[in-house]
Amino acid sequence: MLDFQVVTNPALIRDLRRAVGAKWVLDAPEDLIVYEYDATIERGMPEAVVLPDSDEQVAAAVRIARRHNVPVTARGAGTGLSGGAIPCDGGVVIATSRMNRILEVDPENRLAVVEPGVINLDVSEAVAPYGLYYAPDPSSQKACTMGGNVAENAGGPHCLRYGTTTNHVLGLQIVTPEGDLLWLGDKTPDPPGYDLTGLVVGSEGTLCIVTKIIVRLLDRPQSTVTLLAIFDEVDQASRAVSAIIGQGIVPAALEMMDRNTMRAVEEAVHAGYPPDAGAVLLIEVDGLEEETREQADSVRALCDELGARELRIGFSLEDRERLWAGRKGALGALGRLAPSYYILDGVVPRTKLPAVLRGVYEACDRFGFQVANVFHAGDGNLHPNILFDERVPGATQRVLDLGAVIMRLCVDAGGTITGEHGVGYEKRNYMSWIFSEDDLEVMGRVKLAFGTGGAFNPGKVFPSSKGCGEVSSRMKGAIAKAGPDAYV
Amino acid sequence: MVKQTSLISRLQSIAGADGVTPAAKLSAFAVDGLTPQAAVAPSTYEQVAEVMSYAHAEELAVIPWGGGSHMHIGNLPSRYDIALSLSRLDQIVEHEPADLTVTCQAGITLAALQRRLRPDGQLVPLDSASAERATIGGLLAVNASGASRHAHGALRDFTIGLRVVTGDGRLTRAGGRVVKNVAGYDLCKLYVGSLGTLGVIVEATFKLAPLPRAQRTAITTFDSAARACAFAAELQRRGLSLRSLQLLNPAAASGADLPVSVRSFALVLALAGTPQAVERSHREIIDLARESAAGMAPVDGADKLEDSLRQSASPDASALLCKATALPSRLPALIEAFEAVGGSPSVIALPTVGILHASWPTVDDVEDTVRGVRDATAGVGGSLVIEVCPRDLKRSLDVFPDVSGPSFDLMRRVKREFDPAGILSPGRFLGRL
Ligand SMILES: Cc1cc2nc3c(=O)[nH]c(=O)nc-3n(C[C@H](O)[C@H](O)[C@H](O)COP(=O)(O)OP(=O)(O)OC[C@H]3O[C@@H](n4cnc5c(N)ncnc54)[C@H](O)[C@@H]3O)c2cc1C
Repeated sequence: MLDFQVVTNPALIRDLRRAVGAKWVLDAPEDLIVYEYDATIERGMPEAVVLPDSDEQVAAAVRIARRHNVPVTARGAGTGLSGGAIPCDGGVVIATSRMNRILEVDPENRLAVVEPGVINLDVSEAVAPYGLYYAPDPSSQKACTMGGNVAENAGGPHCLRYGTTTNHVLGLQIVTPEGDLLWLGDKTPDPPGYDLTGLVVGSEGTLCIVTKIIVRLLDRPQSTVTLLAIFDEVDQASRAVSAIIGQGIVPAALEMMDRNTMRAVEEAVHAGYPPDAGAVLLIEVDGLEEETREQADSVRALCDELGARELRIGFSLEDRERLWAGRKGALGALGRLAPSYYILDGVVPRTKLPAVLRGVYEACDRFGFQVANVFHAGDGNLHPNILFDERVPGATQRVLDLGAVIMRLCVDAGGTITGEHGVGYEKRNYMSWIFSEDDLEVMGRVKLAFGTGGAFNPGKVFPSSKGCGEVSSRMKGAIAKAGPDAYV
Repeated sequence: MVKQTSLISRLQSIAGADGVTPAAKLSAFAVDGLTPQAAVAPSTYEQVAEVMSYAHAEELAVIPWGGGSHMHIGNLPSRYDIALSLSRLDQIVEHEPADLTVTCQAGITLAALQRRLRPDGQLVPLDSASAERATIGGLLAVNASGASRHAHGALRDFTIGLRVVTGDGRLTRAGGRVVKNVAGYDLCKLYVGSLGTLGVIVEATFKLAPLPRAQRTAITTFDSAARACAFAAELQRRGLSLRSLQLLNPAAASGADLPVSVRSFALVLALAGTPQAVERSHREIIDLARESAAGMAPVDGADKLEDSLRQSASPDASALLCKATALPSRLPALIEAFEAVGGSPSVIALPTVGILHASWPTVDDVEDTVRGVRDATAGVGGSLVIEVCPRDLKRSLDVFPDVSGPSFDLMRRVKREFDPAGILSPGRFLGRL
């Protein structure tokens, strides 16, 4: 924990105001406080928040910050779960909320050009009249921005079949640390040269500020079938996950909830989960009607074989939404179990799910915390939510320690420390568990090539002993912003 | 400058005597007519790293070698001392079928890898005309993609981990073995398609796809590229179970011995998926062809057909071969413009992706033709890479599109950071990086 002082720099504020208009630069403490946190438990206060309206204004703000030698941190909706948008070293926050225009939709070539502040779900809504949609669907999609998605390489339930953000971004307009605007990639496949677009996606705002995004759109599937399978034991459910994938079926989504989650959901949404059930799988297949029917039959048979005690199936939109309701209400419902919860994000090979889940429960027992698991099982992407009460002295620190133990379990199983939420501030120091010094040094070369130094989002991604702001639980505030039915 | 004899003895001390090619056989590793001073085939990743450290210290230019099937791609190397062959690193490292991923060494051929995965009902979703010869490392380096890209995306989409030796000899890791991973910068993206200019790929991990349970092929014919493209777009919109759609101009169709009339554009459709979905897709294609007055050609032996399609734009049979990319909506115009350049090119396009390959078995005036296809591509806002051309021409011609401006500066800086001594495939890439 490191408390830094906010030194207001009048010349900086003046220059920024000149560039973007007085009203779009915030420097009053009561305004800044809104920008000091995201959906994690870290905080850091900026010196100024700029709300630019165009790529040119972003570039101008970056040049001004550079001149005044202060870092810049981009911010979308602040729903990030790794402390990415928190200005660790103060400086200027560039918030993209006004850059929320969908600039172009090209249904014939199935692509769209959007500004970074566009809300994820708005893209799919804008292109729906053409029978198209934007596939990556982070559970925060009613709130999170496309810029934030690009920075984190966001995933979501349907990334099992369709891939994450990086698989759907064709090109980016960026602002460099020098304050220059340039394009990486374009609308056509295989643009010449190194794939810098792919490099910037997932770079967590540390290489550049993204000012325009070209995304690929998909045709809406003709038919979708949702199945819900209830198991007595988590182990059976996670074996079913491997069995489905091993059988050559890649569902659109394959999600799991455990007993604690179901208990909370049952109280909140009345999804009709039996009180003594151990886990539920939500499986969605899409495609041609023939295909979904055949796959649904196979999935049903597999779940039966592995001891599912109950199977529900939904064909109509209404029935399917009813099956999803529990899953979508899960995170909101967890609030019923404890005052706070800490969301973890780790990935393991799918076949290691049963063993790692057992390890997660054991570790939580050992630390004396309840845990609710609700996650993208098909990808092996775990989200253990540790339930705790931040008012209990020392609880927050113990939760963070437990988080580290769980991350270690993932790494030891051949997995990784983050599947979609990013390294950010929180997990920097776990990077050396999966990468050697040489690996990290080579990643650092990318930063050198971009000339970023500490200009953009310092203190993130790379291991360091330096602290960032204060630790205080703000999770619930940010989660509420993601909408009443937000779910991880 | 290191003497050839001391170079060879040093390489022998690293990779063993049997890992170094005798001088008499070095011509097998020629690139654009340039023969290296030595060729080494390390048998461990550490040996690769040692070779690179040595080359870095002595500033010797290294070109990584896979199966040699794609060495025609790229600019004339500015220097070339060592061919670094991955041929002895050809093992599968890990394949857990229920994880639907595989980790293999870079020197394994695509065909060998597919043969190992097939009994488990899986495949790497990549097809290549030279699968028997092309190695995984080489395919990654050139960012190869085949027709199944329509359904499965490109290598960048399903490569989830790489181990790479940098230009200064460090064995490093990018990504991992799990299908979702956002820890650190996604360096895999950077290495895929970098043509051996940023590092030597020694190992790769892929997401796999299940083998389709049913397959079928259909050929529809049209009197224009525009009609064929519109038909393809409609099939895509309907979400039919298609693994690939390939559009052949009349020259390519007759070159591939398709049973279609000499003036027809042919759309070759590979259906794949669950049995009933494939049957239904096939029925819809027939119905739609009838409605839109497209012809249907008989298909016998889908395997034979794929082979002959591949041969019809093969690099070996081309005096000039180019790859052009454009928005799918601009493909008909691009095909027309290519045909107008003259010389009867065979054109095979992926209408739903926006890529075409055009090949000329012989050309009278190459420079004129190159100018023509460049203008044609520029006219539709696409980009063009000359993949095969006469060796002489390579001395003056940059086979990649013209580059300048800030994004190329960034690429140049990336190259400098990853290969500080400029020894990895020097001169071969975009802007002669
Ligand atoms: C309830 C809930 C559910 C969630 N579910 C999912 C899920 O299913 N899948 C998933 O992947 N994530 C999920 N998240 C995490 C979060 O929503 C995503 O990481 C999202 O992409 C963040 O977007 P944002 O606009 O809120 O970005 P912010 O939190 O504002 O910022 C995130 C990072 O992006 C950077 N950034 C933002 N804009 C730009 C820009 N224009 N240029 C460069 N960098 C930029 C920031 O600097 C920061 O590093 C969830 C979060 C919550 C609260």
